[in-house]
Parts: sequence; C-alpha cells; structure tokens
Amino acid sequence: MKQPLLYTLPSVRYRRKVTVFALVVIATVAICIYLGFDPMMLFTEFHYVVDLAGNMLPPNFDQFRTDNHVWWAILETISMAFLGTIFGGSIAFVLAFLAASNTMPVMVIRQVVRFCLALVRVIPFLVIILVFVVAIGLGPFAGMLTLVWSTIGTFGQLFTQIIENIEPAPSEAIYSIGASRIQVIRYSILPEIFPSFIANLLYSFDINMRAALALGIFGGGGIGFELYMAMRVLRYKDALALICFTIVLITIIEKLSDHLRKKVLGAGALK
Amino acid sequence: MLPVLALAIPVEGAALVCGANIRGLNSGLIEGFSFMGHMFPPDWGAFPELLKPAVDTIIIAILGTFFGTIISLGFGLAAASNVAPRWLRRLTRGFIRIERALPEIIILLFLVAAFGLGPFGGVISLTIGCIGMLGKLFADAIEEIDPVSIEAIEALGASKIQVIVYGVLQPIIPAIISFALFRFELNIRLSVILGAIGAGGIGLELYRSFSLLDYNRGLSALIITLALVFITERFSEFLRSKVRLGGALQ
Repeated sequence: MKQPLLYTLPSVRYRRKVTVFALVVIATVAICIYLGFDPMMLFTEFHYVVDLAGNMLPPNFDQFRTDNHVWWAILETISMAFLGTIFGGSIAFVLAFLAASNTMPVMVIRQVVRFCLALVRVIPFLVIILVFVVAIGLGPFAGMLTLVWSTIGTFGQLFTQIIENIEPAPSEAIYSIGASRIQVIRYSILPEIFPSFIANLLYSFDINMRAALALGIFGGGGIGFELYMAMRVLRYKDALALICFTIVLITIIEKLSDHLRKKVLGAGALK
Repeated sequence: MLPVLALAIPVEGAALVCGANIRGLNSGLIEGFSFMGHMFPPDWGAFPELLKPAVDTIIIAILGTFFGTIISLGFGLAAASNVAPRWLRRLTRGFIRIERALPEIIILLFLVAAFGLGPFGGVISLTIGCIGMLGKLFADAIEEIDPVSIEAIEALGASKIQVIVYGVLQPIIPAIISFALFRFELNIRLSVILGAIGAGGIGLELYRSFSLLDYNRGLSALIITLALVFITERFSEFLRSKVRLGGALQ
C-alpha cells in the first residue's frame, strides 16, 4: 500500500512563492536586528507620543495675529517655490529642446545635455542646498536656487520625453513645404507641447512648495525654518499651529493646481 | 506680450521677498566654484568608515518601504469603493490627503521630539510617508479591478477575507511590487535627507562634514551618496522591468 506521494506535494509554483515570501521575511527580520529597529517600540514607548501631544495641544493660533514674522516666512516659502518653478521650468524647457532627438540634429550636444540632466537629477538636494548656503549665505535665495536646480533635474527629462513623443506628421508636413528647423519648432512643435508644458509647470509648483518646506530646515529660510526653530526650542504649541497652517496651504495649492491643470489640458485638447 | 508682463510683476515681487538678485548670483557662482576647489581631493581615508552609514541609509529605506507598503495596503483596501463601506472610504481618503500634504521631514521632526535621535524615527517617518502616495495608488488600483472576477469568487461562497485575498489582492500583486519599488527609489533619496535631521546614516555624515568645514570628507560622503542613489535606482528599475514582464505573462 503505497501512498501516492506526488499528489500530496504542493505545486512547484506554490513552493516557489512560499520560498520567496519566507526569504523576504527572514531578510527583513535580519536587517531589523542589525539596525536595532524594533517595531514593537512604537507601542511600548507610545507614552512619549502621548506626552508630546499633551505638550502640543492646543495649537497656538494666536501667533498668526500677533507675529507678522510668520506671515513674512510664509510669503518667503511661496516666493521660493514660485521662482524655482518659473526659472527652473524655463531652463528645463530650453534644455529639453537641446536634448530631444527630433529638434537637435547634433548628436554630441544631445548626449552632453542628456548627461548633464542625468547628473543634476542624481544629486540629492541636501548637497545642493549645503553648497548654495556656503556660496550665497543662509536665506531664501539659496533655497530658491536649490529649487531651480531640482526643477531642472526633474522636468528636463520629462520635457525631453514630451517633445520626442509628439506626433511626427505635422512637423514633417511643415518640413516638406521648405520650413527651416526653427520654423518647424515655432509653428508645429511649440503649439503642440505648450499645454502640457504649462500643466507640468503647475504640477512642479505643487512639488516645489513641499520641497521649499524641507529646504527651510537646512538654511533655506521660510516657514520650514520657523517650524524647525519652534521644534528646537520646544515651542510645540507654535509648531503645531504652523503645521496645521502648512497642511491647509499645501492642500489649497494642490487643489488649485489640479483645477488649473485640468483647464489647461482641456483647452489643449479642444484646439 | 501681455502674459509676459503679467508674469513679470509677481516674479519681481517674489525676487524682492527672496532677496534674489543678479549680483548676488554672480558673486555666489564665483564663490561656489572656489568652494568646489576646496573640496578636492576627496578624503580617501574616510571611505571605509563611511561604508557603515551608507548601509544604514539603505536599510532605513528598505525597512521604511517594506512596512510602508504593508500599511498602505490596509489603507488602500479601506479607501477603495468596491471593498470598504462609504463612510470608511471617505475617512481614509481624507487621512491620505492630509498625509500627502505633510512632508516626511516634518513627520521626522515630531518623531525625533518624541523618541529621540536614531534610525527608529527615520523608519517610522518613511513608513508613514508611504501612506500618502502608495495608499492612494493602491486604492485606485483596487477600484480598477474588474467587478466580475470578484463576483465570481463571491458566488463560490468565499468569505469576505477570502474574497479580499484571492479576488482583490492577488490580481494587483504586480502593481503592488512595482509601486513599492518606485517608492523605494524615492525613499533612498529621502533617507539621505532624513539622516541629516536625526535618522543617522550617510546624510548625517554629509551634513556634519559640511558643518565642520571638513569639505574633503564631505566630498567623499557625496561620492558615496551619488553611487548609492545611482546603483539603487538602476537596481530598482531592473526589478521593475522584470515584474512588469512577469505580470504581463501571467
């Protein structure tokens, strides 16, 4: 009486899945132990969070009435994000034409620009802000230049892809009646990509607002710096009020940017 | 011409607020280049001792992504209209929206205030940071599942949990892995930045070297950071291309 052992074994696919799953779990546990990270600490040490919340509540919204400095900081953050978007977006726009294969015939220039864009993208903004703070000094100017840099990195490549992905037929039609390369860009490519350029610029403003907050902590000035200082000197009630305000501000800007973007893209589709 | 003029006024105003001007930029660029001269050559002796912080940075990002993905799955299920009841969906979507407006670095500031410096705060803030992005992506992926396949499993008499495991989670596994890897690329960069604020790792070394004016060591840390970001990004891209292929083949 032999048992048909073959049928009781799980399938190969199932075994492979279980093996992968087990390996992932073992690796996670191993690196948790290596780092000394204990997820349970979140629950066993939770009273610290409760203490902190006790210190923070209620948020001190009075500072918005009494302290004009806060409003100036907010203005600085918005200006930083705005200028970073405008200048970074414009530079990325020009570079994208130099990097796209259908607008730039010289391969060497194309490769050089592409390499520069890749390099700009890979450097974390922590390094950029540290360099700009040394070169220009603390303050929103250094933060703004960092945002210009990071906007070029993110959107240069995106714009290049947008330019390369356009419908080739209209450009070819204009070429065929004897237009120069500049004329093709002006009358065929530019009108086609302009709506998506504006839409991406709005999106980039949204991203830069968040980045501007983080930059403040490293010396970029603005609301991020105020928040960092409030946390450092244990003015937790002020800090919580600033955070609530920041969340509202970012949500409003996100909504606004979404709304405008839909409008711009809708108009582009109608044309 | 009019739009350009209309744009010029806010640009000028914003430049005034930021204190941005051409002269400052010029002198800053000269200063910047001479500063880069100070950074060379990199401190070769520092490379061995910078390796452990680099590994820490990667590990913080991996753990943050791992726990973040698991938690985001819960949030994704609770925010999907075809799984969760209406009130729960509303509540979760609202929470996800608020979380997305909160940069990870600010979450870390709070965690540092509560738990003190160390990688623990870094992992937790990356975990929470995942919810805003992955939670929404997962919820949207779940809502796009063909209702027929869920109904088919329900018709066989499956319990609610069985429906969720086989009808909802099983089909989106390739999407989950692909989104998680995408988030991992982001987390590596964030992990470097969070390190400077208190999570430790290569970001802290970088920040400390620059603060102590030890620019040669700073350049070494910078080189390691660049290598780290570049290699993990390539690796994650490679894995993502494999997953997409596997998902298509199934």
